[in-house]
Amino acid sequence: MDQAALDLQQRILALIARGMAQATTDEEFDRLAREVFAFQYERCAPYRAYCERLKLTPETVAHWKQIPAVPTSAFKDFALTCFPVEEAVAEFHTSGTTREKAGKHYLWTLELYEAAIRPNFAEYLLRDLEGNSRDALSTAERTTTGGHRPPLQKRQYSRLPMMVLMSSPREVPHSSLSHMMGVVAREFGAQDSEFYVEDGVLRVERVVRDLSEAQVAHRPVFLLGTAFAFVHLLDHLARQGLRVEMAEGSRVMETGGFKGRSREMPKAELYGQIERLIGIPKTRIVNEYGMTELSTQFYDGSLRMGRQTDDKAAPPWARVVIVDPNTGREADENGRGLVRVYDLANLWSILCIQTEDLGVAHVAGSASGTNSFEVLGRAAGAEVRGCSLTAEDLRVE
Amino acid sequence: MSATIEQIREAISRTREARERVWPHRTTDAVITALAQAAKNWLDPKNPWRKRAAEQATTPTGFSEAMVNEAIDLTFGAITYESLGELLDRELGNRRVLDKFCLRGRVRTRAMASRLIVHFLAGNVPAPGIMSICCGLLLRSANLVKMSARDPVFPVLFLESVREVDAELADCAAALDWPRGELALTQAAVGDADAVIAYGDDSTVSALRQLAPPTAKFIGYGHKISFAVVAKEAMTEENLPRLAQAAAFDASVYDQQGCLSPHVFYVEERGQLGPRKFAAALADAMAAYQTRVPRGQLSVEEAAEVVKLRTSYEFGAASDRRLGVWASPAESQWAVIYDDNPAFVPSCLNRIVFVKPTDGYKRVLDAIQRFASSVSTVGVAPMNERALAFASDLARMGVHRVCPIGQMQRPPLSWHHDGRPNLADLVSWTDLG
Repeated sequence: MDQAALDLQQRILALIARGMAQATTDEEFDRLAREVFAFQYERCAPYRAYCERLKLTPETVAHWKQIPAVPTSAFKDFALTCFPVEEAVAEFHTSGTTREKAGKHYLWTLELYEAAIRPNFAEYLLRDLEGNSRDALSTAERTTTGGHRPPLQKRQYSRLPMMVLMSSPREVPHSSLSHMMGVVAREFGAQDSEFYVEDGVLRVERVVRDLSEAQVAHRPVFLLGTAFAFVHLLDHLARQGLRVEMAEGSRVMETGGFKGRSREMPKAELYGQIERLIGIPKTRIVNEYGMTELSTQFYDGSLRMGRQTDDKAAPPWARVVIVDPNTGREADENGRGLVRVYDLANLWSILCIQTEDLGVAHVAGSASGTNSFEVLGRAAGAEVRGCSLTAEDLRVE
Repeated sequence: MSATIEQIREAISRTREARERVWPHRTTDAVITALAQAAKNWLDPKNPWRKRAAEQATTPTGFSEAMVNEAIDLTFGAITYESLGELLDRELGNRRVLDKFCLRGRVRTRAMASRLIVHFLAGNVPAPGIMSICCGLLLRSANLVKMSARDPVFPVLFLESVREVDAELADCAAALDWPRGELALTQAAVGDADAVIAYGDDSTVSALRQLAPPTAKFIGYGHKISFAVVAKEAMTEENLPRLAQAAAFDASVYDQQGCLSPHVFYVEERGQLGPRKFAAALADAMAAYQTRVPRGQLSVEEAAEVVKLRTSYEFGAASDRRLGVWASPAESQWAVIYDDNPAFVPSCLNRIVFVKPTDGYKRVLDAIQRFASSVSTVGVAPMNERALAFASDLARMGVHRVCPIGQMQRPPLSWHHDGRPNLADLVSWTDLG
């Protein structure tokens, strides 16, 4: 890789290392984003062809919001990389729905990818554990008093056992979510952190056993998993007539994605059941929004602010814009639209991703993008107005 | 506004009483004349019902005003004295069997219609519902019409327009609306029905089938899908503009939300012009139709589906020569997507249509075999000997209608909707001699 690209990576790493507290100005983000765009335009042939088709090239794009977005579906048909694909150190695959091809996200290095995970995760899920104490609660009190915080690299977090209701990254090397869980368990979890899905099966009895042990020991735990896995665990608890009450300081990171594998459960019901059957209050359940095609995740601020909220914000190295699909323009404040993400940590693939999720902008329209947004979920199943069959209900015999 | 249980009961007894008054004294010919006159009135641009429909229907149907007007022309243009008479003659052998014993073969026979027909309409395409009401009135039955939330306008206005011509006849039908989930209301509606006609998706139709009394005749029309095939004979320089215009009409009418709306045009290779030429010409014709009859406003969800499909193919088309996209410049008002892959792909609707090359009719049959029972209409061009053989194959697979491209949205009144008769199921016979 040439020096210019490595320098660009270095500058993005430096921005990420600056941490969460200092937002990027529009000028700052714009400068980097357009450099990344020019780099990707040059190196990624299918992307260049698309940009040319849209007549949006580094010469004509005057602001980062004009950078062409790539639909996530394109990752199914093209290797969207800015390097020879055989040089990839990792490739993450979308799980997709049945009969669909998987999308593939190739990474030239894990450095940026993992750097982008840490500060964001720490800010939204561990902030109350900051400090060097073993006692989570006393640290929580201390951090709320404010004061100067050391940079992330120097910060210490008391380590909770992470109970990850997913396969380990060893078992599913192509899952970006498992990879991410591996990173956060290594960086922030206690020694006895564990993955509870083996051979594709959630070892739900072991989860319950370890939860019960932690309950007896009054030891707070950190449960992480897909909504699907939580539904599975909760169904098991309900069936067995079991209920645990986890120690104060416990928390949950839940990430969407039922993908047709389990009965859907409305979020309010899911959180209510976690509160009732596991004893972790809603204010300590954080929803993560991420996807295989991105390097950066988004979290709601519930735990960070101590009150339940669905609002998410982008970290300084990313931006989110809600696009009204009827006009192609940015949605009005509180208007619904498709979530579009600009992720500088996606240097080696594609900066600007057009997701298939609907979202709503709570504070929109500022030059620096959507400051606060909520994800409403997959934009599927539009109401049928007429009498034509649609893709979903076309019965194949 | 939702009807109450009292209103439903009142409507049933009112229409039944009206039926008793009308049935013995009105001849079928008089009913045909009245319905044809009411329908004809709608075609006059100054007609008050037409104006009111254009004002009231755009919001619930989601169609533009021009589309509502197009729907009026398609729906009421098909209802004439001749077409109604032909329908009766074709299905009952002779329209007068409803009035008296008529000699058929060696016996005299007469048709007795269901006393009370309950119609459950669905969706925003007015034609099937209006047709259903016409059939009920032709038979001089009492008719309770449960309207679709997507079209609470056309049935009401049509009955008012019939009232203008023949008030007693109009009294034989009442159009109401209530939420689908209100089980008690639906039960009250079907409890005394002699026949139930239900339009809707599979789950709606089967739920109504459960609710209908076991003694009642039940006729269900599920949601369907349509497509078209352009054979190489049609792909000539001379023919293409007219063909593309006809295809664009079929694909654009009702914003492609009807069960007769084509999702895919298969175009045979090795014609004078290739399939891509058809896609380009279709795009021009879709653009022209959009100018004349704009697509309606889409919900965020619908527009998101359109954007997803369109951008996904546009990204591919930029570097994959097997793909092509022609689309409206600004908002996604229409798009023609060319894809070499012969697999049938349903559109996301709202004037997004696929063009796919094919080796011939045989390949098309392969591509659609797995869902042939969900197919409503197959458009063909030209309608020649080869198309006839293709139609026979389709018939064997359970497809119920094959027609020329350009006619997909204009089924004749006497067509076998989903392969069945419109009236014959609703009568029983008394033989004499």
